[in-house]
Amino acid sequence: MTIKALLGGVAMAAIALPGLAQAETFSLWVRSDGSEFMPKLVDAFNAKGEDKAELQIVPVNELVQKYAIAAAGGSQPDALSLDLIFTPSFAQAGQLKDMTDFAKSLPYYDSLSQAHLSVGTYDGKIYGMPFSADASVLVWNKNLYKKAGLDPDKAPANWNDIRKAAEAIGALGDDTYGFYFSGNCGGCNIFTFTPLIWASGGNLFEDKGAKATVKTPQMKDALEFYRGMAKDDLVPAGSQTDSGSNFFAAFAGGNIGLTPSGSFAIGALNNQYPDLDYGVTYLPGKDGDWSSFAGGDNIVVSAKTDEDKMPAIEAFIKFAYSSEGQTILAKNGSLPVRADVAEEALKGLDSRYLIAAKAMDKGRTPYTPVFNDLINSLNGPWVNMLNKAFFADSAEEVDEAMDEAQEEMQSIIDSSR
Amino acid sequence: MTDGLMAVPETPMPTRRRRRRHSQWNGLLFVLPSLLLVTIFFIVPLGMAAWMSLHKWPLMGVPRWVGFDNYERLLTDKSFWSSLWFTIEYTVVITIGLLGVAMALALIVQGQGKAISAYRTIYFLPVVTGFASAALLWVWLSNVDTGLFSPLAQDIGLTEGRVNILANFTPAFWSVIFMVIWKMAGFYMVILMSGLQSIPTDYIEAARIDGAKWSQRFRFIIMPLIRKPFALALILCISGSMLAFDQFYIILSGGPRNQTVTAVYKIFNESFISFRLGYGAALSMVLLVILLALSVIQLTFLSDKGPKK
Repeated sequence: MTIKALLGGVAMAAIALPGLAQAETFSLWVRSDGSEFMPKLVDAFNAKGEDKAELQIVPVNELVQKYAIAAAGGSQPDALSLDLIFTPSFAQAGQLKDMTDFAKSLPYYDSLSQAHLSVGTYDGKIYGMPFSADASVLVWNKNLYKKAGLDPDKAPANWNDIRKAAEAIGALGDDTYGFYFSGNCGGCNIFTFTPLIWASGGNLFEDKGAKATVKTPQMKDALEFYRGMAKDDLVPAGSQTDSGSNFFAAFAGGNIGLTPSGSFAIGALNNQYPDLDYGVTYLPGKDGDWSSFAGGDNIVVSAKTDEDKMPAIEAFIKFAYSSEGQTILAKNGSLPVRADVAEEALKGLDSRYLIAAKAMDKGRTPYTPVFNDLINSLNGPWVNMLNKAFFADSAEEVDEAMDEAQEEMQSIIDSSR
Repeated sequence: MTDGLMAVPETPMPTRRRRRRHSQWNGLLFVLPSLLLVTIFFIVPLGMAAWMSLHKWPLMGVPRWVGFDNYERLLTDKSFWSSLWFTIEYTVVITIGLLGVAMALALIVQGQGKAISAYRTIYFLPVVTGFASAALLWVWLSNVDTGLFSPLAQDIGLTEGRVNILANFTPAFWSVIFMVIWKMAGFYMVILMSGLQSIPTDYIEAARIDGAKWSQRFRFIIMPLIRKPFALALILCISGSMLAFDQFYIILSGGPRNQTVTAVYKIFNESFISFRLGYGAALSMVLLVILLALSVIQLTFLSDKGPKK
């Protein structure tokens, strides 16, 4: 034991001592969703031999709690790759360092993902900078398209196209379904369902998250669109109680015609289900046009991080933005966040990534400091409304669900201010 | 204190009173470790929770003193009261179900014999699975597409097409009840069985000779004699059920449409989903008071000195 400890100490000193000259070591957390690209990016950065990042991967569902506990005890990480939707609430709680000057000093500032920056900005200051990206898209099963006599290369461009294709595929047999959505999952649906509304001209929040706009004709249309498919058995019965566990797996099973999904699915399908021939397209609006949810992580710096460590953290961020860094990200499951090198970073990769990258470019992110409460909570107003409306027996029930959600969301927003 | 430790028996004739005081100090010394544990792990956290409940205490950021605001707010919080009401409903149903089944099982397995001890083991087996793993097993069994119940019901012609049992309140609720009974009945069976086995056989024989029917023997001999183990089982069952969380969180996520959110689930949501720790603490204090009251009521009714008929 003692010898081991001694050796460990020597090793630590060996690492730390050359650092004394100039370089700094900073701690960095990432949620488990980033466990593919982040270690590779950190290794490449550390291999440069100057500053060092010490990475810790945290289970995705515990990140906020862990951070909060660590911050209360003063052991928070210096930097954190944070699910971008949490940036406003972290900034509101005074946990983050203002990075406006650094961000604006970058020559390629204008090419950074606008969606990330929009949620990374609080009170006019930039607290979170784009780091990794995931865009929502629509995927369809080309094998089933062929079987149903549809053109496998023609992507659906509006809701009617989706419905028609789903009907044709649903008619193939008892175990084949036209469409799939996780009917009891708030997180999945904010990612894949809201783009249908955005593309049709609606919105979920207005005034920087101060106003909930649930009760809109676009929302109603979109809810009815899903409800119709569920009612006509184009969707498997399990959807009604799927709180996200089947979000990816259902389509991967090969008996689903179309499903809204995310760019993460491209890599996962290619690696794990090589026989599944599928197409990727944008999530369309009712009569055309399209939209996407820009998801992923913002990189943030804890408010209490030592100023001495800032150069190292800034060097890491710059490295991630370099074309080398963006390529490492793109090869390991994240979309590039810097548009001017995106094409270079995606070179040689599956061409379906390009569609996802374009979706990201136009992607949007809802802005609210109470995202967890409103959207992610398994018992929140958003998922409650969706579940009730998707599987409602009548149009009145859909209206009722929307009214309830409108009222509850607004009251949660109001009481948080 | 050290004096107490040093108390040596051969000290020549210590006065009676002195010896008593000595042994009292000794007693304190012996319970000190557990007293320390109780203080650190129960009293201090309890005090902290009470302190937190008087603050607006976000998970991140600075707590702010708000006095009794949290308590005022919970008075009008419909979702808390409805979750509490649901918890009470659940507790009533599950207590009747569990203790009924456990009593039946205990009567079956109270005797001697190889086969009986095998059954005893079989009935007890589900108890040793964790609540979470049992619930996960149930999630899979009740899955409409890949599970057991729905496809089975369809195949033997019980239902037309697949029915998603977790999608509506009634079947979802009863499937959880069924799961909990399967999982926990063995535990209460053991408690009740120990009571049954301590009843001297002559009592039953005497009653038999006097011509008492089975129901009479059960009502007038068995039940009064297992009053104490029954009281223990009842208190454990009620306080455990009032704190139900895992099964509803894992199997139903509080659904369909928030109809199965229990009181603890609501506290969990407030504290760790909405990050309102202060409000969560206030809800916990209310639940604690309710549980205390319930336990006191049960103890008075079931103790030997309790109200006699």
